[in-house]
Amino acid sequence: MAAESRGALPAAPDVLVIGTGAGGAPLLARLAQAGLRVVALEAGERHPPGGIATDEVAQAGLFWMDERLAAGGDPVGFGRNNSGRGVGGSTLHFTAYTPRAHPDDFTLRRDTGQGVDWPFGYDELEPYYDEVEQFIGVSGPAEYPWGGPRTTPYRHPPLPLNGAARLMERACAEVGLRTSPAANAALSRPQEQAGFGVRPACTNRGFCQAGCSTGAKASLDVTYLALAEQHGAVIVDGAQVTALLTDASGRVRGARFVRAGREETLEAGTVVLAAGAIETPRLLLRQNLANSSGQVGRNFMAHVGVQVWGLVEDDLRPYKGIPGGLISEDTHRVDGVVGGYLLQSLGVMPVTYATQFARGTGTWGPALIDHLSRYNHVAGINVLGDCLPYAHNYLELSDELDARGLPKPRVHFTFGENERRMSAHAEALMRDLWARAGARDVWALPRAAHTIGTARMGEDPSSSVIDPVGRAHDTPGLWICDNSTFPSALAVNPALTQMALSLRTADALITHLKETA
Amino acid sequence: MSTDDRAAVEAALRGPAVTPPTRAALLARLNARYDRQYFTPAEFGQLRAAAVRLVPHDPAELDLAGLVDDRLHAGRTDGWRYADSLPDGDAYRALLAALPADFATLAPGAQDEALRAVQTRLPRAFEDLLAELVEGFVSHPLTSYRFGYAGFMDAPGWPQVGPNELEDREAQYGR
Repeated sequence: MAAESRGALPAAPDVLVIGTGAGGAPLLARLAQAGLRVVALEAGERHPPGGIATDEVAQAGLFWMDERLAAGGDPVGFGRNNSGRGVGGSTLHFTAYTPRAHPDDFTLRRDTGQGVDWPFGYDELEPYYDEVEQFIGVSGPAEYPWGGPRTTPYRHPPLPLNGAARLMERACAEVGLRTSPAANAALSRPQEQAGFGVRPACTNRGFCQAGCSTGAKASLDVTYLALAEQHGAVIVDGAQVTALLTDASGRVRGARFVRAGREETLEAGTVVLAAGAIETPRLLLRQNLANSSGQVGRNFMAHVGVQVWGLVEDDLRPYKGIPGGLISEDTHRVDGVVGGYLLQSLGVMPVTYATQFARGTGTWGPALIDHLSRYNHVAGINVLGDCLPYAHNYLELSDELDARGLPKPRVHFTFGENERRMSAHAEALMRDLWARAGARDVWALPRAAHTIGTARMGEDPSSSVIDPVGRAHDTPGLWICDNSTFPSALAVNPALTQMALSLRTADALITHLKETA
Repeated sequence: MSTDDRAAVEAALRGPAVTPPTRAALLARLNARYDRQYFTPAEFGQLRAAAVRLVPHDPAELDLAGLVDDRLHAGRTDGWRYADSLPDGDAYRALLAALPADFATLAPGAQDEALRAVQTRLPRAFEDLLAELVEGFVSHPLTSYRFGYAGFMDAPGWPQVGPNELEDREAQYGR
């Protein structure tokens, strides 16, 4: 095993980061650049671009395949969706869609009386958004029609529009909806990347969700983690954390983990938990850590993500081009709904499409084969919409153990009335658009996407787990930096915002360490 | 003809448009066969017969039932299951037990009727099994060829992504 051949870990690093996704990676780089001795433990393996196959089944190793239990009225599926495992976390398989949150996403309660406000606003994140977009190399339009003020244009021109994007563009124009090429963190031209080398321009291979085989996509392994290692950070892969170490005073002192079948411990001055909105609360709940508020595991959120699919005459080849090429945010606020959604065109890989069609429609037999045989003519469109936090949506530990002997998480999720109304609004709009695009055999897949909440940030220690910069209210030595900390879901994909938050938390941690040195 | 299909698939997989990791994965899958290890012979017979009706295929060519058996034997999961469902293997066993004992020898129409009944009675196990069979079917290189799917031949990239803008290797692949 590769893990066994590695040398001893650095003793007692200043900071130990658990998880190398959008929460852990930018922070790791920032801390290393500040001269701190940092180690990251990642449960998954390294997946360098040259080893990535253009095949969904072969790429299952990018996902968290330990079984999770999906409960509630609208159970959220995991595995191939809504999970990540590997150096780079779920950015290894994200579609690279990187819209910014809008200023009013942070103030839903102030504006509507529902949801939860963030303890800070867009203006606080704006410089971090700029920094992340420039560093990872976002491709996007010269003028973006929606959202808050931008001080810096996108670094690269937009990626080309594929078949579904062009259909959506035409249909939206008919009904008076504005569209724009979307911001995507895949390069439309080559870019030098510190610690990695030259990342090439995207070849329009639409398999982003099975991993990028060229490095054109800004997964964190080829961006912030390369930078972190250049500055001395040590990333240990294949190391699954099973517990946090605490001392008699209750301070977190490090972590216990399993690597190559052996249990090890690593002590550190500070621990940053960045394992995501499922594994972070799962770890904390096992020791009832950082939970004097009772909020760990609470307020699980998943974006409204209804998709509409149809078959068109044109030969679209939905495996080509960046999957989410076109966006409209004219539906950012819609009547009768709290919050809103964005619309995006959808490319799709064949197994993903086929299994969703089978699950979503229950079709089998010759009718199934007939539909699937027309994959090259499949056109997709979907939305990503806000989701309010509810008491009835939460994560708990079950009595069942997984193959590693750890309790499986059970995640309860049921849309509220608001999400149901939003989903219906979006489905009706997309069915209209696809009818105008001439699609036949149109079908809709109600769906929820992304894992958010479960260790929310806030000012008040009685109703939140961490403070507004990421420090656990009640547990010294512990910080949390991942999408578990989002107080509300926001009406955009979370990755870019998470990376911005990660840099912000890193800056706060550096300041804190200087002050307490 | 299957032999011709296989030859066309192998030629494409060994060609320069396929990257080494993609080639390795697809060539291994093209010829994969599995020994029954998880299910009893009677259960496996039910599974194979049901699989042929659910996702019509030639079991001599695509071993979909064997694929399911192999996964359960190895203890692999797809990362989640419905909390109110039994673990995958038990759920599938319950589904197969709910079919008539002589299911494998029934006429196709009677088989379909029995399958419709269990789809209603055990919707989640049925959905999971169907999705798993579909994954095995669609990810098989012979299916790709028959459906004219050429996405795996991406080593040169795809300079044109608009409707009907096909590279020669896309237009020519499949039957």
